[in-house]
Amino acid sequence: MSTLSIGGQQLDASWFLLLSAILFVLGAVGVLVRRNPLVILISIELMLNAANLALVTFSRQLQNIEGQLFALMSMTVAAAEAVVGLAILVDIFRARDVEDVDDLSELRG
Amino acid sequence: MAIAVFFFFAALAIVGGVGVVTFHQPIRSVLSLVVVMLSLSVMFLLLSAQFVFAVQIIVYAGAVMVLFLFVIALLGPARELGRGRLRFQTSLSILFVLALFGLMYALIQGIQYRQPEHADLSFFGTVQSIAVGLFTTYLYPFELTSILLLVAAIGAIYLSRKRIDDL
Repeated sequence: MSTLSIGGQQLDASWFLLLSAILFVLGAVGVLVRRNPLVILISIELMLNAANLALVTFSRQLQNIEGQLFALMSMTVAAAEAVVGLAILVDIFRARDVEDVDDLSELRG
Repeated sequence: MAIAVFFFFAALAIVGGVGVVTFHQPIRSVLSLVVVMLSLSVMFLLLSAQFVFAVQIIVYAGAVMVLFLFVIALLGPARELGRGRLRFQTSLSILFVLALFGLMYALIQGIQYRQPEHADLSFFGTVQSIAVGLFTTYLYPFELTSILLLVAAIGAIYLSRKRIDDL
């Protein structure tokens, strides 16, 4: 039974999962194709959001609150990741002008 | 009505997602991501996750995105100019990602859904039900999250401090 009764209408749970998959894939394209480190971080946020949608969908389908709790946890982790990632980025940009993540391929400071 | 709302905001989310990937200026990517997050918050509301909906708007569309905007304002508009060194990467990664999407599509079609455990939606997803889960069964992970946030805050302060030799 994959249909969810929402507002008196039947919506299929797989529609939500499909939207989640599409957004995750778009985020993956952004991470792989884009070269601006800031845009890569933004794409990671997009992927995390897509995963959250899948979690909440399954939570609703099973009527089990744990999926939503996990979505909240993943939001916390995403916020921490954004803070640390942006701090590292600002530190790098202060040292030099980076247009391309490939400019950062060496391991020296 | 619910179906119309779903498809409208699903289309909006996908358009925003395409915008995140294709816009050349980072600020437009960030604003597209705000569109995606607001559409997803409507999805959460459709899935009767009221608390997650509110957190999504306040924490994500509010705080995290403002942080991104601040960093862009700090660093100035950096455009992606020209092409990178790894040109073959674009087509190859799109190929792999399409394969990943095919895999996920097949998985979604093949899911064996279980019957719902409870049938009461009046309580589901409210602040009360979230809090009961968060402060009883999942109290330990919840407290650990606060340590994670503390570590992230300290790390951010450490990384963005002024260097001694800069002064």
